[in-house]
Parts: sequence; structure tokens; C-alpha cells
Amino acid sequence: MVSPTTASGRESLSANSFPDNTQASQNSSPRPSDTQDLRRAQGLKQLPGMQPQANKSKPKGTSTKDAEQEFKNKHLGLLGVFAWILLLHIVGIFFFTKGFLLTRMVLENKSSCDVLPFSDSPSSPIDQPERDECWHQKSFDKAVVIIIDALRYDFTVPFVPNAETESAHLFHDSIPVLYETAVNTPQNAFLLPFIADPPTTTLQRLKGLTTGTLPTFVDAGSNFAGTAIDEDNLVAQLHAAGKNLVQLGDDTWHALFPGYFDPNLTRPFDSFNVWDLHTVDNGVTEHLFPLLEPQNYTKWDVIFGHYLGVDHAGHRYGPNHPAMAAKLNQMDQTIRELMTKIDDNTLLVVMGDHGMDSKGDHGGESNDEVDAALWMYSKKGIFGRTTPENLLPPKYARDRFVPQIDLVPTLSLLLGIPIPFNNLGSPIEEAFAGPSGNNWNNLVDVNRLTSAQIKKYQRAYAQTRGSDDGEESQSLGYWETAEEEWQAQSGKSNTKNLVLIYKAYKKYQRHTLHVCRGLWAKFDVLSMIQGIGVLLAGIVLLVFYARGVQADRTELTNPLLSRAGLGSALGAATGVLIAIGGMAEMKALESSALMAAIGSIAGASSAIFGSPQRLSLPLPKSLWGWLAVIFTVSQSIGFASNSYTIWEDEMLLFFLCTFGVVAGVSSMRQQSTKDRVLGVYHSIVFVILGRLASLSRLCREEQMPFCRSTYYSSNTSSTSAPWQLTIPFFVMLLLPAVIKGFYDGSKSYEGAASLWIGIGFRLGLFVTSLFWFLEEVDGKDWLPLSNETLKSIRVFLAQLVLGLAFAAGTTAFIYSKPCVSINVAKSSAEPEPNRPSSPGEQQLPRTTVTILGFGNVHGTRFFFLAINFCLAITLMQKPMGQGAMALLLWQILSLLEILDTNELVTSNSPIGPIVLALLGSFYYFKTGHQATLSSIQWETAFIPLTTVKYPWSPLLVILNTFGAQILTTVAVPLTALWKRPLQLNDKTVQKPATKLLSDVAQASVTYILYFATINLATTMWAAHLRRHLMLYRIFSPRFMMGATVLGVVDIVLILFSVAGVRWSTLSVGEIFGW
Amino acid sequence: MASLTPTPSSPAKPTKPKPSHPPVSVLPSQFARVYALAHPALLLSLVAYRFNSVVNDPVAELLGDIPFLVGLQVVFVMGCLPPAGATTSEQKDAASSGTESSKKVPGPRRRGHPGKGTSGSGFSTGLVLVAWKLMPALLSLTLTILLATPILSLLLVLFGAPLTTHHALTFLCGAHMALLSVFPLIYVHGVDGAVWREIWGAARPVDGLWGGSLGTALGAWFGAVPVPLDWDRPWQAYPITILTGAYIGYCVGMLGGRVNGVFGKRIEFAPSQEEQGARVDVKVD
Repeated sequence: MVSPTTASGRESLSANSFPDNTQASQNSSPRPSDTQDLRRAQGLKQLPGMQPQANKSKPKGTSTKDAEQEFKNKHLGLLGVFAWILLLHIVGIFFFTKGFLLTRMVLENKSSCDVLPFSDSPSSPIDQPERDECWHQKSFDKAVVIIIDALRYDFTVPFVPNAETESAHLFHDSIPVLYETAVNTPQNAFLLPFIADPPTTTLQRLKGLTTGTLPTFVDAGSNFAGTAIDEDNLVAQLHAAGKNLVQLGDDTWHALFPGYFDPNLTRPFDSFNVWDLHTVDNGVTEHLFPLLEPQNYTKWDVIFGHYLGVDHAGHRYGPNHPAMAAKLNQMDQTIRELMTKIDDNTLLVVMGDHGMDSKGDHGGESNDEVDAALWMYSKKGIFGRTTPENLLPPKYARDRFVPQIDLVPTLSLLLGIPIPFNNLGSPIEEAFAGPSGNNWNNLVDVNRLTSAQIKKYQRAYAQTRGSDDGEESQSLGYWETAEEEWQAQSGKSNTKNLVLIYKAYKKYQRHTLHVCRGLWAKFDVLSMIQGIGVLLAGIVLLVFYARGVQADRTELTNPLLSRAGLGSALGAATGVLIAIGGMAEMKALESSALMAAIGSIAGASSAIFGSPQRLSLPLPKSLWGWLAVIFTVSQSIGFASNSYTIWEDEMLLFFLCTFGVVAGVSSMRQQSTKDRVLGVYHSIVFVILGRLASLSRLCREEQMPFCRSTYYSSNTSSTSAPWQLTIPFFVMLLLPAVIKGFYDGSKSYEGAASLWIGIGFRLGLFVTSLFWFLEEVDGKDWLPLSNETLKSIRVFLAQLVLGLAFAAGTTAFIYSKPCVSINVAKSSAEPEPNRPSSPGEQQLPRTTVTILGFGNVHGTRFFFLAINFCLAITLMQKPMGQGAMALLLWQILSLLEILDTNELVTSNSPIGPIVLALLGSFYYFKTGHQATLSSIQWETAFIPLTTVKYPWSPLLVILNTFGAQILTTVAVPLTALWKRPLQLNDKTVQKPATKLLSDVAQASVTYILYFATINLATTMWAAHLRRHLMLYRIFSPRFMMGATVLGVVDIVLILFSVAGVRWSTLSVGEIFGW
Repeated sequence: MASLTPTPSSPAKPTKPKPSHPPVSVLPSQFARVYALAHPALLLSLVAYRFNSVVNDPVAELLGDIPFLVGLQVVFVMGCLPPAGATTSEQKDAASSGTESSKKVPGPRRRGHPGKGTSGSGFSTGLVLVAWKLMPALLSLTLTILLATPILSLLLVLFGAPLTTHHALTFLCGAHMALLSVFPLIYVHGVDGAVWREIWGAARPVDGLWGGSLGTALGAWFGAVPVPLDWDRPWQAYPITILTGAYIGYCVGMLGGRVNGVFGKRIEFAPSQEEQGARVDVKVD
């Protein structure tokens, strides 16, 4: 299976000897274009390129020069067209996103000690004159707030098997202190499930935990660059109350609350190096405990300690790993020690900011990701339970949980500061019920305060927004009921009534929270429609440009670009005028962008539709065309259903297999035996490789229980199994040999090919496998080297591979010669090697020119680019993903052979680019990704780096995440170049180079069309299903993925694929002429 | 999906080495005509009747159904179709030149020819006829089970059927599909290389037989569509919908292939290939 050359019959095409014009061609291929090329090749001695080969600076004849210049110009123009397409996509996605992602107004009002929430004016001095309290009697002076990042609730409670077969995992029962104290001393401690509002990223969670408001989705992406919170929040209120704040650990806090912390005591740590389990934790502990010593106890009021080890252990190893158990044990010890150190007046809070999914990642809204734990402890013994059922902490995270924002009013009132203005949370019952659980007066007080603040906030919000919603008044009804009951009750202390009042206030709070959740899912439908309109118009134009235009596409470049440019300039100007004139509620930049897009669409339409004679209806004319349409459209329709979105990987396998079978059937129809045998062989290989790759899976939560993850060593891990470490070595051994086989098929393993594939590529793969071996060794003490030494060796190796792939690879790609070997021999003499010393030799009468690798000059030359990218992307994948990338490259090659044997290269069939796009999407799932935020492998940013560096870190994560799509994008021009005849002497082709450009443009735009259609479909479905239960779990992530992939594909096409055609075509032209 | 063009009376492709086997019609006998219509109805009612028990215990039920399916199919092919070699015309004899197996004996072929008016024959003649037709039926049954079933099961796995579990179901599904689609083909065409190359290339002229096979494949393809949906219905379990689709596809294809406008046409992948070859540059689809 490794060597596809056994069945190859194409060498006769390429390995011809041409005995000087007289002898007939011995070519056996039936295809007319090939024969013509060979006839042309017979007259090779006149080829202008033969001389420049030795002396390349002087091309002979102006026509060659002109043709080359024309090619370069048209190529640049083509890049312009692709840039315009990219612009259209960006504008469309931007406008849709603007309307789709939730927006919430940020009010800058602050709560103040002087103003009780019941009224707007400063309270009369009668209310609270004598106490130094703010709104409520404080319970503690000091607090130590410990955040254990990603502390999931089930880590903290004893393991309860759901089924008989289920046994405890390593993460169970490893941090028992929280549960023990809550059970043994209920007055001193309580433990509750603490449910996060998604997105479950640390930055978003810290916002929620300090402001008490709901997050909006648009902030999800800002985790890489946090910005200061300007809403009222706990930290600001504590600061305003004159407390001295100390922060230790995760430096995200400093991005959010700059300037609030004591600069002498605070110790921030870099939070993104997720492969480092201990630096942050040890740093926090090291600086925390000295502060608790008696001599330092007065230096601070509130300490925020943020431990990251548990989160990092999850990201790196997954929850079910000894490292996680060790980490949890360490936390357990730390908490026990803290409990002994604090004094009576200090509150100790331990909580998780979010949970983690089954493999230790987070970001989405699955139950495992949002279920965190909250534990409060004090030596005073003031906590209580209102009913005996509540005495034990809940067994499961979904029993008796509290939302995370409840921390905000609870902590505020316990520490005696005002509740932050924007808070929507409720005071936690256990914290205010008193030791015997019957302090109803206190509960009513705190809930009345909280409710009043919420009501005040709601009014301010409605006023600022300037409109009124019916739902708010319904909420107000609850407030009035509670208020009336409270007034009727005042003075008499009747427990039964107090309970009722407490319940009424609580009901108001929860109802408001519910209303706000719905309210802030408010979509700007107009903006969404604008975005969808631009995307749709873009697709219609692309369909006609790719499949409807019958003439040379490069001739369309000039009118297209000039009219689109003119249109967008006019549009931009109009947009500015509209904005200035105040005709629309838009910023000038936004309206000009929108109008520019519309203008360019109008201009481009006039260019494309302006000459109907070269236009035809872009309907599929062959089975292949229909197949391409069916694959794209049925998948697009499928995104309306959550099932097909969840099972996208299986669907893609189904489509790819269908293509393989149809290709096999079609190959059976080929008349030439070689085409038939080769075609069937490659079809079978294509189908088997796809099924083989499908064995690499990373299941998303919704696929359970019908899916078994194989990407990592187990379902609850994110490390590779030992056997998977052999995959990179197998890839290193086999993949270059496979590529060599395909090159050998057309006798193209000549020139630079053997050096590049056999040595360069293999070396790169070897270093890659070394890297991943060392990566796995890390922390296992297999080698007598310190972790730091190992890390620097790994970084060096990784940078070496990337340097080889991109720096050396690109240089070589620009300057390399095509993979041919040309032998010129006199008839009687022995064959001379390539590059004759004196070009004049060719004028001699009996000269034989032998060209090896003639049949696939363009394809093999351009394929070098794909090899470069394959190397870099392979390095960025986990071992299992490396196997998948190797299979992808092989499958791409098989696809190209199928296209060639079925005459789909020369006929510019849409099936080639579309199947390539399917392959890219399929292998996205086979490299350990899913259409969920939590499947992003952030840690890969540290493969060649030790710290976060912009712009490299995001680029590296993109290279890991969209590696498959990037590789197929780079390979797109090959669907027009693989085994493409030179057509130099073909009478039907006027300018072969321009024709080549036109074909590449057609293939590339067809390829874009697939992703643009998927993007439009996911966009439209997300808009249509915007009230769907599964929006944020399924449809929204898929929309974001579709949009990102489209952008990545567009950019890679412009920067690498289409751009690369320039160098490969120039180098072919240099030898064979234009 | 594919454009159907009439079979050219003289092959359009100049290099086509052998003239192909003509499309096969149902035998003209009374029984054949009636049963060829009743057969799909019987099959579909079998599907409908046993559907619930298939949902409840697919392995046992699919296994238990195989004798019924074999019975129906055997009656169908023996009653309605000419066995391998029976329709051989002179051109085929010239063409196949030794590729046919030795079971093609001249004597019985004459006797078995549909034109010979079997309806009027006596009981013993009928018995001889049945016995004579039983041989190719059994042979094709063997081939179907030995060759076609593993191939189709493999294809199911390649399309995404579970690799490590559900082996019995995959195999049974493959067996049912093979009995539907391949068994009649082997019975009628034997192991004629030229015909089978056409079959592999999906280039047979459409008749009831080929239509049925094509319909089985397409039906199974579409039958896979509801599997991933989250409706939580027991019948969504693999391979129930696929097999149901295959049965429906087979019946539709078998009946549809005999319809006048469709019979005898061929599936073309691309419009007129010779034009495509000549005018490579303007071909856009």
C-alpha cells in the first residue's frame, strides 16, 4: 500500500526520449492534449528556456519576456480579486457578529455607603447614624478569598457512583477538607455547588464574581488581552472602603482591576503557560502564608489568592491523571493550613471559578464546565441551615446550587460594604441564617437590601436604554408584593411571616435574574440581516465567477477590480455622509464599511453580468458537478439540526466515502487500462485512508455515549498514550516514501525532489518525533535531565522544525527548479548529464533530449509548498493528530491521482476543490478538535515558545486548530496543476500561463465557495435559532468556527496558495518557455 | 443526479471493444408478469410486517428473515428472469469467447428460453424446468454469500459503520443487501466479465435488474440520513433505516427500471465525453 507506483502507467508519458523530430512519439496515452504536448516536446531543441537554464538572466526574445510579465501582472490582479472576496467576507461576518453576539450596556453608577438602595437621595442621618457600618452589620473585618481555578464540584464531595460499574476516578476524594468541615462543623463551614454563567473562561468568570452581572458572549474572545472593568465591583468597593487589598497568583486580576492592589504585597504570575503546573501555585503559597503570621496580619484586609495548578493539570493531563490527584491533595493541605492560621475575624472563602469537561478543558457551557464549588469557613461559627435537609452538602452539583454571582452580595454584606451597583445575585442563605438557622430577621434584611439594589439598577438600566420592556413590570410586581408584606409586618416578629417575606424577596431577585438572562440575549436583527445580505450576495457573485464565466477569468480581473473599487469608494463616501447626516444610527466607519461592501458588490455584478455572452447558467453539467452541489448544500441544510452539527465528523466521512466509491465506479469506465487500474487503486486507497483516519476521534460531550475518544490515552485525559508516541516515528518513516511513490509515478523524483522530500522533509519529521517524545518524557523522570533543560531542548527542536518548514522551505520554494531531469545526448555518444556546458550543442543534428518528470511538471513543483506546510502543521499536532496529518497528505495525493485519471483536472470539475474542502473539514475533527470552544488546544502555543508572544502565540494556536484546513487550502491549486499538460503547442490554448491562472482561480474560488456556503448556512441557522436551547452550546460555536475557518482559508489562499503559483509557474516557464 | 441518455444502438465510443449485453426484460410468461409486480409488494409487506420485531431484536430477526428473503428472491429470479446464458445472442457468443463458465450448455438453454411457452407444458416439464433453473439459482446464491456479502459488509464499514462492534448486524445487513441487489445479477449474468465491468462502472443499460441494484445502493445511502438525528426512536438504531431504505430502493428501482422512458438508458457521468475530450478548455461545469 505504501507504494502507489506499482500500478502506475504514466511514466511512458513523461519518460520519453525524443530523437530529434524524426521519430514518432511512443506515447501510449489517448488524451489529445497530452499528445500535443509531446509533439511540442519533440521540438524541444528550439525551446527558449534551454539556454536560460544555464544563464537565467537573459531570456531570449521579447515575446517570452512579455508573456512572463503578463503572467506576473495577471497574477497580481488575481490576488486583488481574492483580497476583495476576503473584504466582503470580513464585512459580512462583522455585521452579523455585531448583531448576533450579546450586548449589554455597562452602567458606571457606583453604590455608596451613604445612599441606601431604597431611595435615590442620600439617606437621612436618622437611618444609620451611630454605626460605622454601611448598609448592613458586618460579620468580618478581613477575608482570604482563595480561587482554585477549575475546581469542579464533584472533586470536593465524596464519590457517588451513578451506575454499579462506575468506580472512583483519580480526581475523586482527593480534596476532602471542604466536605469534612462542612459536615463536621456546620456552623463554621458550608459547601455548595457554585454554577458559573458561560462562557467559562477565567476572565469572564472573574468579571461575574466581582460585579454580580451576567457575562455577554462578545467578551469571550478577550481572554488573550483582558481589559479593566469599569462597572461597579467588589474590588472597587473594598478599595473605596479603605481596605488594603492583596492579590496573589493569576495576573488576569491586574488586567481587570489595575491599581487596586497593594503594590508591595501583591505577586502576579503569568497565567497562560498551562504546561507549568507548579510555578503559580508555589508562588501563591510562598507569599500567602507569611502574610498570615501575626506580625504581618495587620498589613492587609482582603487577600485574593488565585491558584492555577488544578486548571493547568486539567488542560495538560485531563482530570483523571495522577498529576490532578496530587494537585488536589496539595490544595487540600494548603486549605487545612490556612484554616489554622486565620483568626476569628477573618472569613475564608475557597471556590472554583468554573469546572472542566471530561478531558480537562473549559470555555463552553456543558454541565461539567459550569459546575464549580464554593466553600466558606470562619472560626466564629455564624453559618447555619434553615432546614435539616440542608445539613449535608449536596451530593450532586445540580442539587441546591447557587449561581456564582451570589458571591457578590454575600461577600459585600458579610464585610460590611455596599452591594455593587450592577449586582443581580442573591445573598447565600447559609451565610446569613445564623448558627441555629432561624435568624429570619437577618435574612429578610439582607434580601430586602439586595432586592432594593437590584430594583434600583433595573430602573437605571431602563432609563439609560430609553425603552421599557413589559417583562420588567412583571418583575416589579414581585417587588411590590414583597414590599407590601414587609410593611405590613414591620414591628412584629412572626417567624412564619418573616419566612414568607424572605421568600418573596428571593423570588423577585431570581425572577429579575431570569428576565435579565433573556433580555441580554437581545439581538440586533437589522445588523444581522445586513451581514447575511452581504455574505449571500458574495456567494452569488462567487458562484457566477467560479462556475458561470466561460471565458478566461484573468480577463475579468481588470473590470472586476476597477468597478468593485469604484463602487466601494462611492459606497464608503455615501456611508460617511449617511452617518454625518444622522440618517442611520451607525458609526461613520461602520456605515462606510457596509456601503463600501454594497457598492463593491454592485460594481462587481456589473462587471460579471455586464457581458452575458461569456456567461452561462452555473448549473452542474455532470454527475461530478451535482455531487459537489449535493455535498455542500446537504451539509449546509444539516446545520439546522443540532444532531447533524454534533455528528459532522461522521457525515464528512460518509461524503468522502461516497466520493471515493463514485470515483472508483467512474474509474471503471475509463477506456485506458492504465487510467482504469490507477483510478480504481487510488479510489480504494482514498476510501480506506479516510476510514483509517476516522479512527482518530475526540468526542464532544453531546456525542456520548455513542462515541469513544481515541485522541488521547483515555476519555478523561489530554495526554497521549505511550503507544501513540510511535506514530510520529512511523510518519517519519512512511510519509516521505509515500510521497516519493507518487513522484515516481511520473518519474518526477528528480532535481530538488529527492533532497526536499527524502532528506529535508524526513529530517523535519524526525525532529518532530523527537520533540514529542521529549514532551511525553517531561515529568516522568525517564531522563536524567531537569525539566528546564528538557523544555529548552524542546523549544529549540520545535523552532528548528518551524525554521526548516517556513524559512528554509519558503526560500527553497521560491528558487527551486522544477522536478525534471533533462538529458541531452548525441545519438552515438553516451547520454550527457543535465545542464550542458555550451548551449550551442543543441544545434547539432542527431541530438536526443530526454526529459524525466515531464508529465507532472507543474504539480510536483507546486507540491513542495504543501510539504512545507505539512511539516509545520505536523509539529503542531499531538501524536495522534500527526498520524492524521500524514493520512491527509496521502489522501490529497490520492485525490489528485483520481482527478487526473478521471479527466477532472483538465475539465476544471468542481469536485476536486470541494472534496479537498471536505477533507480539510474532516481532518479538523481528526486532529483532536470539535466545534466547541473547549476543544481549542491552547497549550500548543508553547510548543516553540516559553512565554506568550504576540503575534506568534495566536498564530501557533491557529496553525494547530485549523491545520487541516490550512493544508488543504495550500493544496487547492494542485487540483488544476496536477499532471497538467504544458499546452505550449496546443493550438486551442492561446496563452497557457494565463489559462493556468484562470484555472487556478476557478479552483480556488470553488474551494472558497464551499466554506462560504457553510459559513452562510451556520450564520443563518444561528440567527434563525437564536432562541434555541442549544444556541450557545451547538449553533453559536459552529457559527464562530465557520466564520473563522472562512477567514483563515481566504487569507491562506491569498498569502500562500495563489501566491505560490507565481513562483512555481515562473520556474516552469523558465525551463520550458511560455 | 445523472443524466440519462438513450443507449446508442451503435456504441458511441469508438474504442469500445465489445458490444455490451442488452438490458434484460422480465420473461413474457403470465406468471412472470404477475409475479414481477407482486414481488416488490411482497418484499415491502415483509418489511412492514416484521419491522417491529426487527426493532426489538435486530440480530435474531434479520437472521430469521434471510430464508424468507432467499425464498422470495429465488422464486422471483426463477420465475421471472432468464438464467445466465439463456438470453445469449449470437453477438454475445462472439464477444464473450470463452469467458463464460461451462454451465452454459446449449441444450437446456433452448428449452429454458422464455419464448417456448411454458404455460402449456405438462407437470413433468415444469418440474424439469424448475430443477434446471435451480442449479444456477443455487450457484448464484453461493456466490452472493461468499463474495457479495463480505464486500458489501466491508463497504458498510467504510461508510462509517462501527468497526469494532455490531459485527453481526453489519454482516446481516450486507447479506440482505447482497441478496437484494447482487443475487439476481449473478443469476442472470453469471460471471460474464464484460457485463460485470459494466456493473462496476455503473454503466449497465437500465432494466428491472440493474434498476433494483442501483435502487438498493441509493436507498441504503439515503437510509443512513436519519441515523444521527436525536429523536431517540428505537428504529433509528443501526442498521434498521439503512436496510429499510435498501428494500424500498430495491422495489422502486426494480419497478422504475422497467418503465418505458427509463428502460435501456445508461447513466452518464458527464455530458458526451467525446466532446469533453476535444474541447478541454471551454468545458465548465
